[in-house]
Amino acid sequence: MTNAIQVLILGVMLGGVYALMASGLTLIFGVMRIVNLAHPIMIIWGAFVAYWLFKLYGIDPLVSMPIAAAFMFLVGIVLYKLVYAREAASAKYSEMTVLLTFAVALVMDGAVSTAFSNTQRVTSPPYATDAFIFGPIFIPTAQLYAGIVSIILVGGLFAFLQFTRTGYAIRATTQNRTAAQLLGVNVAFISLLTFAIGSALAGASGALVSFVFSFFPAKHWEWIAVLMSLVVLGGMGKLVGTIVGAFVLSIIAAFVGTYAGATWSTITFFLALFLILLIRPQGLFGDPIEGT
Amino acid sequence: MSLNPGASGEVDNVVAARRAYNAGLAATKREDRSWGFVVGFVILLAALPLLQFVGNANYVLHMALYTFMYIAMTSAWNIVGGYTGYISLGHNVFFGIGGYFSGMILAGAGISTLITAPLAGLVAAACGIVVGLITLRVRGPSFIISSIALLMIVRILFDNWDYIGGSNGLSVPVNDLDVRWTKLPYFYAMLVIAILTVIVSYKIKHSKFGLGLRALSQDEVKAESAGIDTFTYKVMAFAISAFFVGMCGAIWGEYLTYIRPNIFLIILVAANMVLMGIIGGKGTVAGPIVGTVLIVAFNEYMVYQFGASALNILGTGIVMLLTLMFFPLGIVGTLAKKRKLPRFLDWD
Repeated sequence: MTNAIQVLILGVMLGGVYALMASGLTLIFGVMRIVNLAHPIMIIWGAFVAYWLFKLYGIDPLVSMPIAAAFMFLVGIVLYKLVYAREAASAKYSEMTVLLTFAVALVMDGAVSTAFSNTQRVTSPPYATDAFIFGPIFIPTAQLYAGIVSIILVGGLFAFLQFTRTGYAIRATTQNRTAAQLLGVNVAFISLLTFAIGSALAGASGALVSFVFSFFPAKHWEWIAVLMSLVVLGGMGKLVGTIVGAFVLSIIAAFVGTYAGATWSTITFFLALFLILLIRPQGLFGDPIEGT
Repeated sequence: MSLNPGASGEVDNVVAARRAYNAGLAATKREDRSWGFVVGFVILLAALPLLQFVGNANYVLHMALYTFMYIAMTSAWNIVGGYTGYISLGHNVFFGIGGYFSGMILAGAGISTLITAPLAGLVAAACGIVVGLITLRVRGPSFIISSIALLMIVRILFDNWDYIGGSNGLSVPVNDLDVRWTKLPYFYAMLVIAILTVIVSYKIKHSKFGLGLRALSQDEVKAESAGIDTFTYKVMAFAISAFFVGMCGAIWGEYLTYIRPNIFLIILVAANMVLMGIIGGKGTVAGPIVGTVLIVAFNEYMVYQFGASALNILGTGIVMLLTLMFFPLGIVGTLAKKRKLPRFLDWD
């Protein structure tokens, strides 16, 4: 029983991190109907920012998280201007756009693997190997911090979407782009902003990932599938659904990892994806997918 | 317009004339194709091993074989990704399945993959049907994501399956031909597979089946209401595609003399298929061939110039990005639109 509680807590902590990782992805899909396959490599870029800041200047990843987020915010703006702007204008899902993001992912992957090589890295702040111990239960400090920070950030994102005018505009654009435009929302700017925020969220989660998991550039292919399974489970573009999906799946994965071996914990996400596609293709919270 | 007695007769005449005109157009288009050039080129390729009498042409043969393989795989991908409009980013799963199936038989029973390749293709096709029955139920983003997830699942399974060597893979026996001719069986096998794939791709494009696929790629609901059994069509296309990719995998495993998940199940293989298909022209018959030749040459140049494989990913990505942004129709598609496509490439 204590063991189960232990695993549950670990699952919740990781769920927070996954929720943060996937929230940008689902936000961008909601507003722009773009499945951004380059999102996970953005997380890797964020992780690299945190890694080098830690390695070179000894800055704690939790402190450098805003820097990583700001950096990825800028990268997001540049990418949007260069590549995504023309795709956003059509605002309709298309295969070609997905391929475009796939190409962006390849470019960003190639760039970091050329620059820093494809070796495993991890930032090791002092708390990385610590744990809080409450009787029979222990909580790794790194995961606790990452989980708490993630939950705060996701909560902040919610508050932003729920209570600010810009947040209203983003949600309106998600619901109906044309209607939002008719009501005076600057849809082009909202797209840019959403993309940049999504990228910044990727950067922020990258900083957390850098000490929670070890990372290397090619790892993002696995994350694409993991994060996408969360997004599909929750219903494409539904932020609440994605977050619920993240917690549910990472708790299941934690149990699978404990009782069946760590190798199989990743596979949980993929199998869940297939199951969802079989049983309820639109996801838990989703409307029927366009063009299905 | 008015109800004069001759009207229906006139309409019939017009329809008949129209039909005759269309038939004539189709016929001239068919006769127009310069098959002689294509056949001549294939014979030239088949004669390539003769270079071994002149000097050491092992490199040329290797590159040709590699190109044939990707022509077959890209054409096969094109049946699903181009005609049907379902972009699969994990299509090398079938490459791996084919490679492992035949490779295991070769390692265990010593039967050459040249014999078991069609069987490997069938196994891959069967897997394709099973996978297709699940993933082809959704279109758009969910399908693409599920194709990547499939690749990840198979990768994890193969990495941890000790019977087939796990992530270290296993070696398969080398054939006992003289070093000059050791590549020969695989060269011809790949050539034959490539030709077969292109022929099948051509036949599909010019068949009712292909028309159905193209219809459902445009609008699935309308295609369904026009009486096309879209789901069966999609699954069939997926299986046919998997068949050829599986055969390529079988031959490739024996050619390399070892099979590892790291050879078959990396995303770069899938990315190559997609890129070659797109740069040549998605949904055209000749596109995958043009795209493959270009990208193989480009990759070779990159490796020759810079050596590193990470740069190769970067280069692949940049070329793909530029193509998608500026020539989304690909080379063959763009030329065909401008009516400047050379006749020997006009197979659509």
